Amino acid sequence: MKPVSLLLGSRLTFDVTILAPHVPFLLKGALLTAEACGLALVGSLAIGFLVAALRTSSSPLLSRAAFVYVDLFRNIPFIVQLFFFFYGLPEIGIYIDAFSTGVIALSIAGGAFSSDVIRSGILAIDPGILEAAEVSGLSKPVIFRKIVMPIALRTSIRPLGSVFINLILTSSILSTITLNELTGSAKIVASDTFRPFEVYAVLLVVYASLTYLVSLAISALHRHLNRDRMPEVA
Amino acid sequence: MRYTSFTSYDVVLLAQGLGVSLALFLTTTVIGLLLGTIWAVIRFYRVPVLSPLIAVLAELLKNSPVLVQLFLVFFGLPALLKINVTPVEAALITLSGNTAAFIYVIAVSAIESIGRDQIESARVFGLSRWQVLRHIIAPQAMAFAIGPLTGLLVNQLQVTSLISVIGVVDLTKIGNILNLRTLKPFIVWTIVGALYYATAKLVAFGGATLEKRLRAHSAWKGL
Amino acid sequence: MIRARGVRKSFGSAAVLDGIDLDVHGSEVVSILGSSGSGKSTLIRCMNGLEKLDAGSITIDDFDVSLPKDLAEARKRSATVFQLFNLYPHMTALQNVTLAPIQVLKRSRAEAEATARSLLDSVGLGARADAYPAQLSGGQRQRVGICRALAMNPRYLLLDEITSALDPEMTAEVLSILAQLAKTGTTMVFVTHEIEFARTISSRIVFLDKGQLVVDLPTEEFFAAEGGMARPRISQFLSKMRKD
Ligand SMILES: Nc1ncnc2c1ncn2[C@@H]1O[C@H](COP(=O)(O)OP(=O)(O)O)[C@@H](O)[C@H]1O
Ligand SMILES: [Mg+2]
Repeated sequence: MKPVSLLLGSRLTFDVTILAPHVPFLLKGALLTAEACGLALVGSLAIGFLVAALRTSSSPLLSRAAFVYVDLFRNIPFIVQLFFFFYGLPEIGIYIDAFSTGVIALSIAGGAFSSDVIRSGILAIDPGILEAAEVSGLSKPVIFRKIVMPIALRTSIRPLGSVFINLILTSSILSTITLNELTGSAKIVASDTFRPFEVYAVLLVVYASLTYLVSLAISALHRHLNRDRMPEVA
Repeated sequence: MRYTSFTSYDVVLLAQGLGVSLALFLTTTVIGLLLGTIWAVIRFYRVPVLSPLIAVLAELLKNSPVLVQLFLVFFGLPALLKINVTPVEAALITLSGNTAAFIYVIAVSAIESIGRDQIESARVFGLSRWQVLRHIIAPQAMAFAIGPLTGLLVNQLQVTSLISVIGVVDLTKIGNILNLRTLKPFIVWTIVGALYYATAKLVAFGGATLEKRLRAHSAWKGL
Repeated sequence: MIRARGVRKSFGSAAVLDGIDLDVHGSEVVSILGSSGSGKSTLIRCMNGLEKLDAGSITIDDFDVSLPKDLAEARKRSATVFQLFNLYPHMTALQNVTLAPIQVLKRSRAEAEATARSLLDSVGLGARADAYPAQLSGGQRQRVGICRALAMNPRYLLLDEITSALDPEMTAEVLSILAQLAKTGTTMVFVTHEIEFARTISSRIVFLDKGQLVVDLPTEEFFAAEGGMARPRISQFLSKMRKD
């Protein structure tokens, strides 16, 4: 097969086939990205639900503290947060690797965004439903786990999906703390091959396709969680 | 040891870094606004070839990491075109394009929010497509878009921090420099974070104020 | 029994309940009538602990709903059916009915499901056990709501205008279930605008007006010309209700 090359005048060449030998290496990077994002998703959701619960709690102190956390981490660039942890943690005697630092930073930032989404999901719950749960004698933790969380989750699955997609895009910043995830690996390939344009153009399309696939999965999940409102197949 | 502590000159450094961040933020916001609006207008006129092309470009820019876009422009373009691209130029191009993509999306949905029927009925009165755009759509779309726009700008301000990675000496880069020199990461990144935070709040406050003005204005005009 | 003494409740400056005394004994069906805004819902919400009393007391089998340590027990003995059903939207009919028995009464899942299925069967919803609320008609939803309440095996059933969001046909299907319940001796506090129905199933009728319990009479006396009807306020109310 002829290499897919595009000749734009004699000096300009665009040839993605030069990447072929580097695909396994890039896939390893992609796997690291997937791992980091998967773990950070779990972390973000855990923090998101916890913080949303605090923000909607009746204690002014707790809800205030939760608000401050969300406000701070939403309004400070992720790279600054990342450097804060990456350079700061060893300073106080916490030595963890770049991967763990990245996952923690992503979870904390993602948690701030998720908690906002989850909080609006919680506030949108019909109070009558919670009253029904309360008078039937269910305890507060049970109401939160069995009623509040699932309802908030299914109403906010789409905005949560956007948060997750942003998380994937943001994970490229982990390359700045020596982590060779997808973007970090691509950087290495770019300097090895001296073909940065091809490398980064492909990388850009890969990220866009990846997030597109994720958005398809989110739509499917949304349909699944809200299947009761779909016409019944009787 | 002489260089490991903070000096009063560091305040100047921080101010310079903040200035660079702000200047790039404001410049790319203006260019992005213009570019994104033009793209939306092209779509409004349903220009063949160009409008689907723009739609694809906007999708790509929205759904890929800004860092990768920066690398493509800063490392990729010079290699492809055999030209010289400085970090600041790369930052200007990338941030403007990225902002434009999001502005485009906001503008398109703002135009759509006004509704086809309003546009059609105005056309029936003999207004040209341009007159409709200028006198009917633009003012309403502006009021509709200001909220999402504020959110976008707060976000884009933070995105500017990525240009430090390609060597622009913005606020984050100053943070890096001070971090390496003083070895006091908590203090350095807390100060840098606080400066970004304050600026973000300022942008959000500005947007909210503008929104209130516009709301009051359109309420007074009625309809 | 449910015993209310001197119950007062106001929202802001408006006194919504203005000193209510009421006893509901076992196996009684007490209907609460009164025009809209007279405080009927608030009284029910005070009984199940959704509103705090400003003054007075309500006890359910001697458990004081105002005491946190008693409230849980009071709530185990009573169950509420709501005007707008308030079903859990993410759970099937069966799950709606089994949640509290499993979590609160610590029944096994199998036991709770067996009870729930027979309850759903008894209200004609056996085949809809796995349907979600959004897939059910209003009448069906309210029947699930009744099953959810009954699954807790309550001594007292609190019902607040449970048919007012339903059309006449659905109202009939829900009321026929209540009629059966009344026959089996379930104690009910029944807020309603269905005057004729209240007349057929109630042992007593109380009439609320502007937060005060102005009449508390056995059903026949309430509707007798020389009893409740002798009061202009009541005859007015009843004739207005019958016209609607
Ligand atoms: N949570 C509340 N806050 C303020 N006012 C309320 C609240 N609940 C009820 N009220 C007022 O109390 C009065 C009685 O309400 P309600 O008990 O619902 O009457 P009913 O059920 O007899 O129609 C009404 O005027 C209503 O507006
Ligand atoms: Mg009521």
